[in-house]
Amino acid sequence: MLLFRSEDHLDRWLSSRAKGATIPVTKLAELALAWWHDRLDPSWRPHTREQNQAILDRIGLTGPFWNLG
Amino acid sequence: MDPADIEVRNATYRRFVELGRAPTAGEIAEATGATAEDVAAAWHRLHDAHALVLDEHGEIRMANPFSAVPTAFRVEAGGRSWFANCAWDAFGIGAALHVDCRIESSCADCGEPITIDVRDGTPDDTNLLFHVLVPAVSWWQDIGFT
Repeated sequence: MLLFRSEDHLDRWLSSRAKGATIPVTKLAELALAWWHDRLDPSWRPHTREQNQAILDRIGLTGPFWNLG
Repeated sequence: MDPADIEVRNATYRRFVELGRAPTAGEIAEATGATAEDVAAAWHRLHDAHALVLDEHGEIRMANPFSAVPTAFRVEAGGRSWFANCAWDAFGIGAALHVDCRIESSCADCGEPITIDVRDGTPDDTNLLFHVLVPAVSWWQDIGFT
């Protein structure tokens, strides 16, 4: 789960690897907020797989790659 | 998940934030009134439930999004700093703390430093890209690699 300066940098890095999924850093920030915001709350309870999948869906990260199983 | 294990988990996260490093089982025993052996046993159950990650010695390796070991993702907020496990977790530290933060990392291709200021959840450099190599269904098969 890495950062790249641009598509060119990513393509060069991927030249010897199978491509996964790429999203803009703005969407990553949105995802991180939804995924981690409650991590330090005293009332924290573990997310279910369904709750985590719903977060991905809400952010627009859908399809087989983002399926938690 | 057992409420007592959640208490150990929450104390572990609180101390991680306060100390800027992973706490020991003894430190969490002191914070919770449990024994260090009880804390270690709770940590193993939490590890099995993917609520935190232990290393091969039973010490905290990850209290996601925080990393117990130095990584390429350093996060500063409120005059303190922590390491994150990956780019996603780097944004997660500010999200979990509910504060603005600065992320210091580098481009995985060229190694050039990347500094991102995150204010109100929004990064100041919007041109960067985030890449995930491993499909979601396999993330926990090897969380260190993921």
